[in-house]
Amino acid sequence: MRAMIRFAKRPRLRFISHLDLQRFFQRAVNRTGLPIAWSQGFNPHPVMSFGSALALGWTSDYEIIDIKLSAPMGRKRTEDAIRAALPEDLPVLDVRMVDDRHPAPMALVKMADYRVTLDGEGAGAILAQIPAFMARENVPAVKKTKSGEKEINARPLVISMEPFENGFNARLMLTERESIKPDLLIGLLADMAGVEPPEAAIHRLTLLGEDGEGNLKPLLEL
Amino acid sequence: MSLSDRIEKLLMSVQKPVRYMGGEFNAVMKDPDSVDVRYAFLFPDTYEVGMSHLGMKILYHSINARDDAWCERVFSPWVDMAQLMRENDIPLFSLESRTPVKDFDILGITLQYEMSFTNILEALDLAGIPLRREDRTGGPFVIVGGPCAFNPEPLVPFVDLVALGDGEEETQQTIDAYKQWKAAGLPREEYLKMCARIPGIYVPSLYDVTYNDDGTVKAVTPKSGSGAPAVVKKAMVKDLDKAVYPEKLIVPYGEIVHNRIMLEIFRGCTRGCRFCQAGMIYRPIRERKIDTLMALAEKLVSSTGYDEISLMSLSSGDYSCLPELAHRMVEKFAAKRVRIALPSQRIDNVLTDTLKETQKVKKTALTLAPEAGTQRLRDVINKGVTEEDLIRSVTDAFDQGWSAVKLYFMLGLPTETDEDVLGIADLAEKVRRCYFSIPKERRAPGLRITVSASVFVPKNDTPFQWSPQLNYDEVVRRQQLLRQALARLKGVDFKYHAPDISYIEAVFARGDRRMGEALERAWRLGCRMDGWSDQFKYDMWLKAFEETGIDPDFYATRPRSTDEVFPWDHLDCGVTKQYMLREWEKAQRAECTPDCRKGCTGCGMKRYEGACV
Repeated sequence: MRAMIRFAKRPRLRFISHLDLQRFFQRAVNRTGLPIAWSQGFNPHPVMSFGSALALGWTSDYEIIDIKLSAPMGRKRTEDAIRAALPEDLPVLDVRMVDDRHPAPMALVKMADYRVTLDGEGAGAILAQIPAFMARENVPAVKKTKSGEKEINARPLVISMEPFENGFNARLMLTERESIKPDLLIGLLADMAGVEPPEAAIHRLTLLGEDGEGNLKPLLEL
Repeated sequence: MSLSDRIEKLLMSVQKPVRYMGGEFNAVMKDPDSVDVRYAFLFPDTYEVGMSHLGMKILYHSINARDDAWCERVFSPWVDMAQLMRENDIPLFSLESRTPVKDFDILGITLQYEMSFTNILEALDLAGIPLRREDRTGGPFVIVGGPCAFNPEPLVPFVDLVALGDGEEETQQTIDAYKQWKAAGLPREEYLKMCARIPGIYVPSLYDVTYNDDGTVKAVTPKSGSGAPAVVKKAMVKDLDKAVYPEKLIVPYGEIVHNRIMLEIFRGCTRGCRFCQAGMIYRPIRERKIDTLMALAEKLVSSTGYDEISLMSLSSGDYSCLPELAHRMVEKFAAKRVRIALPSQRIDNVLTDTLKETQKVKKTALTLAPEAGTQRLRDVINKGVTEEDLIRSVTDAFDQGWSAVKLYFMLGLPTETDEDVLGIADLAEKVRRCYFSIPKERRAPGLRITVSASVFVPKNDTPFQWSPQLNYDEVVRRQQLLRQALARLKGVDFKYHAPDISYIEAVFARGDRRMGEALERAWRLGCRMDGWSDQFKYDMWLKAFEETGIDPDFYATRPRSTDEVFPWDHLDCGVTKQYMLREWEKAQRAECTPDCRKGCTGCGMKRYEGACV
């Protein structure tokens, strides 16, 4: 069986890289005392996977780690053990026990909701561009990938964008083939407004997937 | 905006922001209002280096075991962060609560190597604490400890107290004294006088130094009426089984230099290598019992989740029941997939059984330190190791599947000749032949031999404290001689460095109080992070010496007469000057002194109550 754990990444720990977080969890699961399943092979490690990597400097209320257990465990006991093994600024928010056939969290992720808070000059000008952005059919953008730069149309990757006083909420595509990151989006809006991109605090609110009927739901509710 | 928020603002634009982040698992948080004493513990180097240091972990957790005190960590910010902190008026801060260091009661600083001294001035300045003790009217008392505290004289203008020897008990006593001092509302100097009565605490401001016409020290004497002792004996923990040891360790997020459980299996060393300061100042040898170690290991594994335990000491192969300890450790932790590592391997002590045990879980490069290339020179330095020992160890290791060997040497040891230098290449060649003597189907492929040669630095409180350091040009010539000899050997890598850092290190190791001027000048000229070769500014150091009228050769390369008074003679490290002098004279004759477990060699440690029982 597997434990899908939802945890938050609070501001203080926003500079832990994804790689460091993976290493951190290797040790954290050792501290839980839970019956962790280990991989086979030359270099065994605890079997675990993440929902979606969070960029350095971002915070989140919806990070997922999925840990495989070698023996059945109750949800409450698992939650308590994980909670005790994590620091204050990586708090456990929810745990769901699933069986081994349940899809891996990464395969479930379709979209993510973000709250972007802008600071400084240019913030207002950027927010004013949101209706224009949403009204367009094509917003060309250059996306940096591992293999180089790629031209994309950013517009269909942005499902929704709602401004508030000093920022906006956005629902963005997040699959292996189609994804856009909030910082790229801020850059596009800044270009449209003709301003420098201001400082932005990026916070992930939810990871979303689709159920059998195609309804969008938070990952842990699928 | 709070200090913490202002710090956060900077972190987006610095390298490795995790260095300044805090919030790690097992970091100790307390309510500041619930404690009487706030203790800032500075490791004057980067987070990654400092967090790998065992002494800091021991003291951090032992101070925090008290309800009335809170110890927080402070590290030297890297140069990028230091610059941003100055530009944004952000003072040096603690990691846990992000409190300015100047608001603490005590600032403890560990002195692990001389090349961190400028970082101490940098830290005081960033903290907004006046550099010189006499300019301070408030703020934390500055206490230094650690191996370099046995010659703290170059730092004397900047510190209040020096803690000699084992820190576990004396640190607690300085905190107790602080509480009494504060409660009594006494003037600042009174705290120093109270501390002068604590075993192991040296209060430099209570001593006068006089000099001879030739520039050497004439005498260091306590000021009359100060109550300070003429000689300060180091503090010594008698029984390590009863001494505090952390049961929890902070688990960092980023990778640090040594990211694993460190278990100190014993303190001290009985070998008596004549170049080795640690081997002298950490005497006597005190072992922890296997049961104590097993219990600590179990607690640490479950509180940290680490998958590796390093058995630490100056010479782990010398632990009296090493095979049993290794066996029990491996047996207990193999199921939890925790590896056991033995560092500081000595070639005469590589136990085949132990190797097999360790190998069961992990196979790393075999690290050996013959230190010198010929038997004659190894006898001079009293490295009680023969070529046969080395050959046997590496042959065993190659036979059991090792293919990587690291060999450590020093260049410029007293009495060294070209024959000794070339002896290093001979030894590397013999190691190579050992590998090829193993049938091809039995040995692991990919032989790698790494020869590292550092430059010998004569240290205070060693038998070689009378020795001149080899001059710069001659070091370079011998490095090139060795490089050419090793270039002929396939599969052998040679690592060496310019002798400039070792030269400055030698100046400070045997420096005196006047050196403080040069230190401050060097810092003002931009020297800091001197242990990092990309930051080290040799030209600025030379300029600093010139501007302050200090001749560095006087400290580094001058031969010393046997009746010279040293700047550190009033600090008793346990081993007597008479013993060291005897060893220095035996070294000239290439005469060995056996390991003192085979019979007391009269080093002076027995003068300490409870030592060597």
